[in-house]
Amino acid sequence: MITFILKRLGSGIVVLFAVSILVFSLLYVSSGSIARNIVGDQATPEQVALKETELGLDQPILTRYLDWVVNALQGDLGASWFTSEPVADALATRIPVTMTMVVAAMLLISIIATLIGVAAAVKRGWVDRTVQVGAIIGDSIPGFVIGIILVTILAIQMGLFPATSTISPGAGADAWVLSLTLPVIALLINGVTGGAQQIRSAVIKQLERDYVRTLRSRGIQEREILFKHVLRSAAPAGLTVLSLQLIGMLGGVVIIEQIFALPGMGPLAVAATGQSDQPVVMGVVMYTVAVVIFVNLIVDLLNGWLNPKVRAS
Amino acid sequence: MKLGPKAAAAALITSAALALTACGGAPGANNPGAPKTTTLTLGAVRDMTSWDPAQAHVGHVLQPYQAAYDSLLLREPDGKLSPMLATAWKYNDADTQLTVDLRTDVTFSDGAKFDAEAAKANLDHFKKANGPQMAQLTAVSDVKVVDADTIELNLATPDPSLEFYLSQAAGLMGSPKALGTESIKTEPVGSGPYVMDKAATVKDSQSVFTARKDYWNKDNQKFEKLTLKILTDPTARTNALVSGQVDATLLDPKTGKQAEGAKMKLVTNQVDWQGLLLLDRDGAKNAPLKDVKVRQAINHAFDRKTILDQVLLGQGSPTSQPFGKESGAWVEELENKYPYDPAKAKALLKEAGYETGVTLEVPSVPGFETQLAVLKQQLSDVGITLNVGAAITNTFTSDVAAQKFTTMYFSLFQGEPWVAINQIVSTKALYNPFKNTTPELQAKIHAVQSGGEKADELAKEVNRYVVEQAWFAPLFRVNQMYYHNDKVTVTPQIQQAVPSIYNYSPAK
Repeated sequence: MITFILKRLGSGIVVLFAVSILVFSLLYVSSGSIARNIVGDQATPEQVALKETELGLDQPILTRYLDWVVNALQGDLGASWFTSEPVADALATRIPVTMTMVVAAMLLISIIATLIGVAAAVKRGWVDRTVQVGAIIGDSIPGFVIGIILVTILAIQMGLFPATSTISPGAGADAWVLSLTLPVIALLINGVTGGAQQIRSAVIKQLERDYVRTLRSRGIQEREILFKHVLRSAAPAGLTVLSLQLIGMLGGVVIIEQIFALPGMGPLAVAATGQSDQPVVMGVVMYTVAVVIFVNLIVDLLNGWLNPKVRAS
Repeated sequence: MKLGPKAAAAALITSAALALTACGGAPGANNPGAPKTTTLTLGAVRDMTSWDPAQAHVGHVLQPYQAAYDSLLLREPDGKLSPMLATAWKYNDADTQLTVDLRTDVTFSDGAKFDAEAAKANLDHFKKANGPQMAQLTAVSDVKVVDADTIELNLATPDPSLEFYLSQAAGLMGSPKALGTESIKTEPVGSGPYVMDKAATVKDSQSVFTARKDYWNKDNQKFEKLTLKILTDPTARTNALVSGQVDATLLDPKTGKQAEGAKMKLVTNQVDWQGLLLLDRDGAKNAPLKDVKVRQAINHAFDRKTILDQVLLGQGSPTSQPFGKESGAWVEELENKYPYDPAKAKALLKEAGYETGVTLEVPSVPGFETQLAVLKQQLSDVGITLNVGAAITNTFTSDVAAQKFTTMYFSLFQGEPWVAINQIVSTKALYNPFKNTTPELQAKIHAVQSGGEKADELAKEVNRYVVEQAWFAPLFRVNQMYYHNDKVTVTPQIQQAVPSIYNYSPAK
């Protein structure tokens, strides 16, 4: 078990390095006029040169990358080229907002999708058809459209929620709850419909298996079969879907945060990428890759715990 | 506050409960805390990169600085320059020395006194701090302290815009003790009407200011609290405005419709022009552009009114000149110099010997795809091919300077004539990358530079020249759509999409 975790962490570090090299090179290509963008349209060539020296842009790419790696390994992710805000600070204030939203959405998705998926698989008939149709509708409406509809009705017309985030230092839990409710709903609808579909088919597949018939023939209660055996065997499929959704959500959340003006990772990532603000982009990418690696590791461990067969492989 | 997993779970359950029972009380915006407090909350398009006054810019990147910093001169809403920290200013006869008298009763928020030494420290700092508007003081060779409340700005060459600049970024005065420190980047230290509430301010989310006690000029301090809420997304700005979270914000023609539906009030203003920049006027890379008839033909090919109606819902004024209406260089008869006339365009192309075979290459510009598609259609009607290439990237300014584009579609700021000349006409201008000029034009530009008070009038000649020579194919000046609710009154500021901070007051 420990070897497994260490192995996975080792490969995770390799991935982090590979991604950092890739992203750093890509940014290098587009950082040609970064100094000019910082000092503005009317800057003289001398001003531009001054800024380039200040940012170390006159150094070869290898030197710049190694500088970054050495500093990053010591916990220093540098500071934004445009705002001088330390990257670590920028991430520290934004990660709680984004992660609260993502974790809340994922928990709700897991619970609701499982309930709906199992209900559809077990009851079949009209329940199943309703879930199927609902899934198609839910899947076909992008999260940001749902977000805009929710804002228009619940925030602007009914005034139940703030239209844009009221999260600020000293804001109470009520500001967090009210500000995050609509974004979380906008995020989770696609997840619920997608997840419910997958869980439904996984459960149906298990219900058709021979061992279920054997269990039934022994007179074991349906409830026990479902919760003790079927769900356990169907769980890996569900877990995989949910982990993919979580990773996809890290992208979807960017647009949702823009619409609700949430001070999360999204606006930071968008602004930094648009400006080729290298230290910030590197920080955001490293953080995202780390989350993805971590989520995959947790899912693998959970799968192993749920299903011993997976552990062997 | 930060949320740990437990708190998050608790928040989640509470939120679910609230959503289900629909008992979530109306958010703060609808019932602001103390009823007597006058607060102003503005939806800002972006956050400041640094609060160092030398990093201030123009328009909406100037307004926030005005909360914390006073400037030497005050620019009135109509563009007139009035005393602020400077009580009087006067040029010598050669326009090479500007003597500025200063107030003696002003202190900065850290207690430092504003005097001639402080003013000099700011101007010196601005000249070397490499800010985006550093060029504003290029003409100033040195600043001399004459006495405790007088400074002298010595100019290497006359600069007709200098007084204007002293009402803009270059004129913002920060505490000499704070200039150049790390802390001023995140917390402004000025003599302005408001001081930042650092604890309530979050980067890229909101900047909060409170009225400064004992501020010297109560006329410029009309609110007790000022919040700039950063809302980069236009949908978010619209939602925040119509739901009452912000009192005023900048929208666009489409989102403006929604604001009008919610009975928001519009203050409109023309700040930018949009159109084609026919950059390669010597035909270095695209030979036909050398012929003025070809450039004029391009100008005659566009049905400006229809394009404006379709693309911007009519929010603007068609024009054939690149200088702004309030700039002083605007000439009435140039407004419709090139009416829509495809037959004339074809005739001009024939005269020039380019009946067929004129091809213009332009880069695609995010946000202007529709405009480019319409231009392509209208140009093809007169026999000109418009090829829209790859979209511009963040290497855009370098690409322009490196003569990568022979023609481009863009939206440009219409400032004071000397500012505009240095932006699009002079050989030093970024948007004249091929450095086109003629002795005739040089003479006209020189006349403006040394024209003193007649500079605006003389700039009309530059305007006439570039319009007659069809250096550009301007389409229209664009209306800025600034909306506010009925809790505040707002006076638009000339040449600014977002009004100066002094232009807001509580509605009576």
